[in-house]
Amino acid sequence: MNAMRTDTENLISGLVDELQPVRPLRFRRGLGLAVAAMALAVVLVVTLGGIRPDLAAGRPDPMFLVASGLFLLLGLAAAVTVVVMGSPRVGNAHDGWRWAAAMAGLLPLAAMLLALGDFHAAWIASEPAHGAYCAAYSIGLGLLTGAVLVLWLRRGAPTSPGRAGLLTGVAAGCAGVFAFSFACPFDSIMHIGLWHALAVVVSALAGWLVVPRLVRW
Amino acid sequence: MKTEEATLARLAAMAQRGDRQAYRVLLGECQSWLKGYFRRRIAPHHLDDLVQETLLSLHRKLGSYDPARPFLPWLAAISRYRWVDHMRRLYRDDGEAIEGDVPADPEEPAIAARLSLERLFTYLPQAQARVIELVKVEGLSIREASRASGQSESLVKVNIHRGLKKLAAMIEKE
Repeated sequence: MNAMRTDTENLISGLVDELQPVRPLRFRRGLGLAVAAMALAVVLVVTLGGIRPDLAAGRPDPMFLVASGLFLLLGLAAAVTVVVMGSPRVGNAHDGWRWAAAMAGLLPLAAMLLALGDFHAAWIASEPAHGAYCAAYSIGLGLLTGAVLVLWLRRGAPTSPGRAGLLTGVAAGCAGVFAFSFACPFDSIMHIGLWHALAVVVSALAGWLVVPRLVRW
Repeated sequence: MKTEEATLARLAAMAQRGDRQAYRVLLGECQSWLKGYFRRRIAPHHLDDLVQETLLSLHRKLGSYDPARPFLPWLAAISRYRWVDHMRRLYRDDGEAIEGDVPADPEEPAIAARLSLERLFTYLPQAQARVIELVKVEGLSIREASRASGQSESLVKVNIHRGLKKLAAMIEKE
């Protein structure tokens, strides 16, 4: 027992010798970084891809406002949860994002219900020729936000790496979709409910599969 | 408790700024706290290993503590994470049984109870909590745990697996 005590004392001495000043994780900073990554994605889209004609004219389509707003809210809710997960504490709750997910989930749900009537017409209305581009660009743009959140989690101590990965993917996917919406000219519920939602689902799955390996401690 | 919490929070903030003296005191205090925290939920000869692993995690993840918030809930989350991880890795050895039952501290304050490991067990179904205690804490074999709990051997394994998975998902739960 004395030997073990000595081991622990030795360990403590070693850790004290190794101590370097460390910058504590602050919620405001984490959220600021995530929002900055989202904003950078929008800037990239607008400067490289151009802006939608209705936005350029100052008369945005209502569907654009609703859909991109829902994705932005879900992205922010997921990002906030990820940032909080970096600084664990007994008593933290990580459920707030579920409500935003339920609201954004109405988009693919509405698309599915409408597709039940005439699947072929719904598929055509989803603009499949452009849909895959939308999803791919959105996923790519979301990588910026995803990378920021992964780096944050690696500095932090997430106690649920699987959930942290899933939410990182959701935040990244939503950030990408939100950014690409500024260039995407299609406003039908079929297009948004299928291709834009698909980008979020794929990002979430990728986050759930890949991120835990990067942030486990 | 309030004094202890405030002192630990102050020491942790000083350690984050590189104050080695404060850090040594903090680690010493944490060592004592962790021994009490884990004592009733780990076989005695694993206690020091687990305390050391948790101190190492504290060191590596010191930056994840937000000095604007209480310290003990953060330490408890780090400790629970290491404990669940330790239980998952633990291979059964003969003679791991805890000798005698360590009684709960009757004066354990409410805040400590909310942070405790015992609290986590209350969220598990009885059957899962029972076999985790028998196998992972007391060190019984699957067959012995099966006899003691009245569950089949395969059910004991399933319940341990499901219970540990649930515990891992509830680390920050009060």
